[in-house]
Amino acid sequence: MKKGTQVLTDRKKQTTEVITPPKTATQMLYEHHGVLRGIMERLSRTSRDDIEQRRALTDELYSEVQMHERIEEHIFYPAISDFHPKLDAAWSEHRQMTDQLAALLRADPGGARFEEELRLMRDVLEAHAHLDEELEMFPEVERLMDEAWLVEMGERLQDRLDRLRSSRTLRARHRLERMMLRGPGRLIARTMRRGS
Amino acid sequence: MAQHALERLMRKIEGQEWLDRPGHTLEHGYAFVQNVFGLSQRPVRRFLHGVWFGHPLHPALTDVPIGSWTTALVLDTMGAGKGRREREGYQRAARRAVGLGVVGALGAAVTGLTDWQYTHDYARRLGLVHGALNAVALGLYTWSWWERRRERHGRGRLAAMLGYPLVAVSGYLGGGLTFRHLVGADQSEQEADRLLQPRDFTPVLRANELQEGTPRRVEACGVGVLLVRSNGQIHALGETCPHLGGPLSQGWLRDGSIVCPWHGSAFDLETGESQNGPAIAPAPRFQARVRDGRIEVRRVPPVVSAPPGSALTRQQEMPVQPPRPRQREMQP
Ligand code: FES
Ligand SMILES: [Fe+2]
Ligand SMILES: [Fe+2]
Repeated sequence: MKKGTQVLTDRKKQTTEVITPPKTATQMLYEHHGVLRGIMERLSRTSRDDIEQRRALTDELYSEVQMHERIEEHIFYPAISDFHPKLDAAWSEHRQMTDQLAALLRADPGGARFEEELRLMRDVLEAHAHLDEELEMFPEVERLMDEAWLVEMGERLQDRLDRLRSSRTLRARHRLERMMLRGPGRLIARTMRRGS
Repeated sequence: MAQHALERLMRKIEGQEWLDRPGHTLEHGYAFVQNVFGLSQRPVRRFLHGVWFGHPLHPALTDVPIGSWTTALVLDTMGAGKGRREREGYQRAARRAVGLGVVGALGAAVTGLTDWQYTHDYARRLGLVHGALNAVALGLYTWSWWERRRERHGRGRLAAMLGYPLVAVSGYLGGGLTFRHLVGADQSEQEADRLLQPRDFTPVLRANELQEGTPRRVEACGVGVLLVRSNGQIHALGETCPHLGGPLSQGWLRDGSIVCPWHGSAFDLETGESQNGPAIAPAPRFQARVRDGRIEVRRVPPVVSAPPGSALTRQQEMPVQPPRPRQREMQP
């Protein structure tokens, strides 16, 4: 039965791909920013006693942010490194996102701290995705590269993202990472806050 | 001659693009460790970068291994020609010196790695090689200590002799990180800092254009100024981050401080002091006031020569608190 649905979705994907015009790299990344924003939006609408939902959405956010950083770092950034000089800042901003994600995981989903960390997560993401990429980097790439390059790059990015999303090992790795970040990290953070 | 060779080596390393990949892998790994064990929390960062110290901690700590291992080299040489009794004394002392150096090197490694993760391109590649050389040297000296403890002094001396040149070369590269790439130095707008512009209150923005919690960049006499309204109060700081010059106006607010979007240095909105590092120096401070619906700013002059409470200090009419004398940092 599982196989049957797989075939169905595959076929559906193929037909939609024929209809929709090919996506450029910047469009593809922009849309994935939208996915990240959407998860955070849904998270901010959850209430404090809906711990299950908060946890599930945080898990999803963690995986999507990690995958977003990977496709950019492994494919997009190296491809534009010749003409875009400020890539180091972009790498550093990814690091800030990773750290803020860890802070969000450490926070107790039933507490006020979680909401504060979520607000910060949004600020950190916008500082990078909007102020740096969407306002500066993407327009520059679109100006300098032709349509064919952009479309081909978009396909490569989408391809890799699809592959990462369906990878079981990656899912297991993310689960393990989250467990470790939630475990000792939270304990240490709590004692340190009490101390300072 | 040797100088030129080392200089050339340094430039060569800076051009090795392939070092970026292993560098980022190392950073990802270290980031994960830091987040799991809470090393990315404020107090730990403050300590490891040396914010509490007013000076980067790593360069200060490197004196311990370099000094101890130099001492061991001297002791090894002095003990060589002596009789058995006397030689044993030298051997014991040399072993202690090597051991102390190993402990110091571990501290230097952790602080160095912590500083390194927040560097960019050339400095990052140079720092990676600097760290790798030191790691090999640390291995050799640990081996040396181990052999000396088992009374195999010949091998112990050999290991130390292999390690010493590595430490020397890598020390040179470390110097390049400080003096060429200014890692750990104050990189806020130095020029403007010296000229102390703007001296008089200069209108920069209409007050109703500054929204609560949204940082903005303005310019006053060619100097970039960050404006933040937090709890209704307007704060003004230098806009370029003292660490590597990141744009603070693109950062975010966390617990009463503005956080740099590049490496997360948090600066107190009131005092400009760095809360956690990697920035050590404070962000330059400006006074802000509202006149006729416009925000005006002027530089808070650093009072270096006047003692607190003197006429000069009072002249500066600080509304909140008297300015603290701001020390200019000197690199070693
Ligand atoms: S530039 Fe590094 S923390 Fe601001
Ligand atoms: Fe990015
Ligand atoms: Fe992005």
